[in-house]
Amino acid sequence: MVVLSAARWVRSRLSDRFWRVQEVLKYARHFRGRKNRCYALAVRSVRRAFVRSTKARKEKKRFLRALWITRIEAASLEHGLKYPAFISNLLKSQVELNRKVLADLAIYEPKTFKSLAALAQRRRQEGFLAALGDGKEPEGIFSRIVHHH
Amino acid sequence: VAKTSLTSPPWPEVKLPDPVEEAKYHAAEVVRKVNGLISAGEYGRLFAVVHFASKQWKITSEDLIMMDNVLEAECGDRIRMEKVLLVGADDFTLIGRPLLGKDLVRVEATVIEKTESWPKVNMRFWRRHNFQRKKIIANPQTILRINTIEIYPCLS
Repeated sequence: MVVLSAARWVRSRLSDRFWRVQEVLKYARHFRGRKNRCYALAVRSVRRAFVRSTKARKEKKRFLRALWITRIEAASLEHGLKYPAFISNLLKSQVELNRKVLADLAIYEPKTFKSLAALAQRRRQEGFLAALGDGKEPEGIFSRIVHHH
Repeated sequence: VAKTSLTSPPWPEVKLPDPVEEAKYHAAEVVRKVNGLISAGEYGRLFAVVHFASKQWKITSEDLIMMDNVLEAECGDRIRMEKVLLVGADDFTLIGRPLLGKDLVRVEATVIEKTESWPKVNMRFWRRHNFQRKKIIANPQTILRINTIEIYPCLS
């Protein structure tokens, strides 16, 4: 609003109250009850809605990761592997696919997911063999069998 | 000696194939077959997993990708995506450890549009403390269309 002198400015009154109110009510039109019509109730509801949407943007990332993990777990159980075994063995074989892509492959490319599961299973068996060693007794330790002389 | 419950370990005995023989089989049979399929062109639609803009995408040809940041390329520029993690077709998949070679795969994309996102409202509010801040954020976005994914028969 343009006001030409100080005296007039002191006496001026608000003329665009309607549009200021509509700016808030337009975000509340799909709410339930009187808060979609009455400004005082709508202001509070719209404020809570905005705050909740900002917080939800952070939590969405957590939800989606949990969802992907559930889907990958289900798909790897179909191929006889548990989720921790699958993921750890894939990482040890230097395949750095993230959970989002693994979940998409499990849904849309079942043959590729089966080959990844086979790769993880093979790496798992190799890890077990490497950990078991030769099957002989380690040196410098008393044998478990007690020899009576 | 009689067999007891502790003679053999409780997990099933697994015999892995001989590494030398397996390397020979892999080089001779598998690589030759896949190279043959690639050079004969007997694959349908190829899909690839590409690492781009710090995210991994599963893409095919002719599909759209939206990044939530700015790309320093004009609209209509052709871009080659180099970090390819996986390429697959119906009969074979090439898994990179972790990336595939640049002479093996070629993924081309074109920048279509550079816009801003819809105005998102960022609001913080503490009750009873007379504290509220409202900010409207519109992130720049770039839209790319993946033109082609090509593979060349240079496996070894």
